Amino acid sequence: MTFVKNSSLSLRGIAGLLLFLILWEILIRFLIQFDNLPAPSAILFSWFDLLTLKQYWEEIAHTLFAAMLGWTVASFAGIFLGLSLGLSKTFYKYTYTSIEVMRPWPGVAFAPIGLLLFGFSLKMELLVIILPALWPVLVNTMGGIVNIPKSLYEVVASLRLTHFAKIYKVFIPSAKASILVGLRISLSLSIIMAVVAEMIGSPNGIGYAIIREQQAMKPTNMFSYIFTIALINVFINYLLSKIVNRLSSGQSTRRLNQKVLVQ
Amino acid sequence: MMPIYLKSLFRVLLGLLPIISLLMIWQLFSDGPSPHFPAPSYWMMALGQLWKSGQIQFAIKETFWIFSVGLILSTTLGFSLGITIGVNQKFREWTTYSFESFRAIPPPVVIPIAVLLMGYSDSMKIVVIVFATIWPILLNVVSSIDNMHSGLVDMGKALHLTQKQLIFKVVIPSVIPNAIIGIRVTIPLAIVITLLTEMLTGSNGLGGIMIAGQRNYNSSQVYGVLIIVGILGLIINLASNYLEKYFTKSWPPKQQL
Repeated sequence: MTFVKNSSLSLRGIAGLLLFLILWEILIRFLIQFDNLPAPSAILFSWFDLLTLKQYWEEIAHTLFAAMLGWTVASFAGIFLGLSLGLSKTFYKYTYTSIEVMRPWPGVAFAPIGLLLFGFSLKMELLVIILPALWPVLVNTMGGIVNIPKSLYEVVASLRLTHFAKIYKVFIPSAKASILVGLRISLSLSIIMAVVAEMIGSPNGIGYAIIREQQAMKPTNMFSYIFTIALINVFINYLLSKIVNRLSSGQSTRRLNQKVLVQ
Repeated sequence: MMPIYLKSLFRVLLGLLPIISLLMIWQLFSDGPSPHFPAPSYWMMALGQLWKSGQIQFAIKETFWIFSVGLILSTTLGFSLGITIGVNQKFREWTTYSFESFRAIPPPVVIPIAVLLMGYSDSMKIVVIVFATIWPILLNVVSSIDNMHSGLVDMGKALHLTQKQLIFKVVIPSVIPNAIIGIRVTIPLAIVITLLTEMLTGSNGLGGIMIAGQRNYNSSQVYGVLIIVGILGLIINLASNYLEKYFTKSWPPKQQL
């Protein structure tokens, strides 16, 4: 869901954004003296300076690496658990309440535990990423499996497929659209949680850089890092929605998207 | 035959088995107040101490207060802004990209901006929560106005309703169920942001106590507060589930068409 009604560029929208930036510039330059809120032009200049630094690119790479690693682990675990929950009634019976109890647990709350166990490290970051990123994949995989029409089970039974072939050839493909939506939500969550973990306790990455610049009272640099992570966020979301649409062509993902939002 | 409520209670307990057995194994094999994995009985003792000193009650109150004020403000603001954008085509065209770019900023990084601009204060925390959680409600309201049955608006026009009447009598009632769904999505986000702000600013709330426990290597305290946070999250989640069901059940104007 976006505010933009049709995908064509709206000139008025761009004009509105420019107007906002110009207003901000004028306010800061001429009207009010505010030490901690820099003008957009100042941010832009300091951003250009940052772009030439090697450290800046290393920080971006660190955040992306942590997010991707956490996302991969969470995806495999989530798909595995979701499949087991969807396919096995007994497993569902003995674990589902536990999962429902664990799910609303705020992921940030595990950051202090991660700090206790692993100190300021990548491992702590991964703990904070993996736990919240697991649930969207798990729930969507399970939902995809549960919503498979009954007739498909009968077909599978009459084909006498092996257990593995059943899952690999029938169940996963028919739950694909739903699983992909889960993976997408989980990836954008992973990036955000990576930044969160870095803000609380990891001496590397964009999140740490934001806090460092804030404490060093360099708001121009801080805003540059914030806009960097916003750009990455937008870019990855765009890329993923393209990939998901390509992969699940024919199956309507918009519906699913809304259903997931409700959960 | 067992009565139904006993049966469902039994089912819930069966589902809880993994957690219960994990905690029991933990208790049996843990070496007491370890700095990494203290036994669950020590968590309870740490919580007991926090309770005696009144810290935990204060923390729960503090966290819940910030959370609910932030949520109420973001709901009201998001709802009214959503109606404005959805109804007023011109306003929407001009502000589209500005709102889109605000929305792209990941919620947690708003905290350092707010700290720089407003310092460590309650109003800073509330502003952060509002900024982070306003989007799902706003978007849900806007998109449900877009998808409103065109017959509804035509009907209003046929009845010669003024613009104001049209908004208050037709648009707002038909948007409410979707807005409730938006609120449901925001609630977990609001909890996360509240805790994160407390962790970063070291307040007296639950997040602050957790970070303090971690800094003093008081691991039992961290685990104990983690349990409290989990229970709080669970209760808020159940309450919001109930609210959503209640509102969407008693308010289905779409099906009456």
